[in-house]
Amino acid sequence: MSTATLDRTTAPAPTTARDASWPAQVAHVSWRWFVNLLRQPWGLGVAIVQPVIWIVLFGNVFSAVGDLPGFGGADYLTFLVPGIVMMTVLYSGAWAGTGFIDDIRSGVMDRLLSSPVHRSALVTGQLVQQLAVSLVQGVCVIGIGWLAGARYDGGLVGMAVALGVSLLLAAAFCSLSAAVALLARDQTALIGISTIIVLPATFVSTALMPPALLPSWVETAARYNPLTWATEAARTAMSTDVDWGLVGTRSLWLAVLAALVAWWSVHAMHAYQRSL
Amino acid sequence: MPLDLAVDAHGLVKTYPGGRGQPDVRALDGLDLAVPAGTVHGLLGPNGAGKSTTTKVLTTLARAAEGTARVAGFDVARDAAAVRRRIGYVSQGTGADGLLTPRENLAMAARLRGASRADATARARELVDRFGLGEAADRRTTCLSGGTRRKLDVALGLVDRPQVLFLDEPTTGLDPEARASMWAEIRRLAGEDALTVVLTTHYLEEADRLADAVSIVDQGRVVVAGSPDELKSTLAGDTLTVELVEPDADAVRSAAARVAGLDDAVVHVEGPTGRLVARTPDGSAVVAAVIAALRDAGVRHGAVAVSRPTLDDVYLRHAGRSWTAADATSKEAAR
Ligand SMILES: Nc1ncnc2c1ncn2[C@@H]1O[C@H](COP(=O)(O)OP(=O)(O)OP(=O)(O)O)[C@@H](O)[C@H]1O
Ligand SMILES: [Mg+2]
Repeated sequence: MSTATLDRTTAPAPTTARDASWPAQVAHVSWRWFVNLLRQPWGLGVAIVQPVIWIVLFGNVFSAVGDLPGFGGADYLTFLVPGIVMMTVLYSGAWAGTGFIDDIRSGVMDRLLSSPVHRSALVTGQLVQQLAVSLVQGVCVIGIGWLAGARYDGGLVGMAVALGVSLLLAAAFCSLSAAVALLARDQTALIGISTIIVLPATFVSTALMPPALLPSWVETAARYNPLTWATEAARTAMSTDVDWGLVGTRSLWLAVLAALVAWWSVHAMHAYQRSL
Repeated sequence: MPLDLAVDAHGLVKTYPGGRGQPDVRALDGLDLAVPAGTVHGLLGPNGAGKSTTTKVLTTLARAAEGTARVAGFDVARDAAAVRRRIGYVSQGTGADGLLTPRENLAMAARLRGASRADATARARELVDRFGLGEAADRRTTCLSGGTRRKLDVALGLVDRPQVLFLDEPTTGLDPEARASMWAEIRRLAGEDALTVVLTTHYLEEADRLADAVSIVDQGRVVVAGSPDELKSTLAGDTLTVELVEPDADAVRSAAARVAGLDDAVVHVEGPTGRLVARTPDGSAVVAAVIAALRDAGVRHGAVAVSRPTLDDVYLRHAGRSWTAADATSKEAAR
């Protein structure tokens, strides 16, 4: 048996002099998820088609809402679009964790975790891709809404603010999904938990109905719903007279929420590793 | 720690929660391992012995509850980042992203470890050539055969020119040809690249061919370690194997116990067939007596073979639970 000495100077030099920087790692990880996304055209197609169906469906089914006294005479479709933007983000964000479950199952996660890659870069890289998808979805919803007759008096600034707020909501929700995925490590559990949260969150919010038309207990509960925060901030930003105070507070709440949940998802990555 | 050890582990203990009121699983129970730099070390053992757990602790994936381990000169718990920079890990599953091509997988692994775009591309090309991935290199990884995928997994472990490569069952599920080519590759790694390889396997032949030394692991500890030849030489004499037809294990055991010069008899029953394996100082001398004893006991048998000890025998001796159990019974019966 040979007993070669492990001399650091003659040992095979690693290809790389030093580790990739954190932003570079995030960029590579998100590149991977982008490629994955583009090679699964079904997923991408659904992500775009789903909000279109919602606009058509809710726009028609609930169009009479616009005539109700509590509504205040505005156009229902214009009212609906910000809500649909946020709902879209919520529904696709709920799936964000599935990629991690696939990675855990296949062994990709173990390879990544045994290499000098930051745990937070793995989580952030995937989040970046999710946010990009959310942004594309948001732009599509706003565009389709406009084609269908919705008008945004807030102009480009209003739309940009609405999209920005939708990204805060997306960050919170994608991170939540990632954290649940990393802790439960089970596809069924993830789908179950997402369904339990997402569907009630949609209806106990002002995404589809103005507060005046909601039953009073729902209206109260809706005030604590991040979906309501995001929808109302976007709605006022896209309207004629913008309530910047509302935009500011709701954005702040969403940002704090997103930061907390993102921290939790990194924590969940560490918890996953501890379970190994 | 002496500088010439690429892996140096002492008293590793790792427990997993049993769940649902079950007692905890003690996956590692005081495991020691020493692997000199530049050698190939085989970890052998039955399912659940703790081979993968050992690999996970040494690759910094899992954290041992007790014990210390140094890999490539760094402590796995305190200097995990330094260890990660110097190792490659090929897990029991796959490590490749199925939707990327092998080339993309390799380049992305290199970039994640800090290579520039040009270096990553070059390294990917180098590994594609080296592992003969050729035309498969630009197809989606999910479309590849098991053998090609496994080669890609190993190539992924080598992306950053590690000092120590951990391979967890690199050839499980491969056909004999793919396995032979994987063996050739691993041998080349150890030879030309002076890489230290820690390899877990269920194939004794694999360990015998590839490993400079093996550790047989059972129930979370190393039961015996040494070079394959050393281990074989600890078993003096010959191995006698008798194929059995519809055997009654107890009858076979007591028949074997009556034959003088037959030790460590163990009976394996697999469905309608079975096998009597025993050790003897002189194989040719006992064959006739064994056949007679079996016939007297009314046991039907097939081929009778005498062989020099193989790594299989060493393995059965140390990690074969049925062996130890039968061992005790036949010794009692002999008394
Ligand atoms: N993540 C885990 N959670 C709970 N128990 C685990 C976990 N990983 C391993 N174990 C248990 O630890 C023990 C050792 O497992 P390990 O995977 O190390 O065995 P192994 O020698 O690699 O077996 P095999 O040959 O089947 O791969 C087993 O009893 C296994 O059930
Ligand atoms: Mg294993």
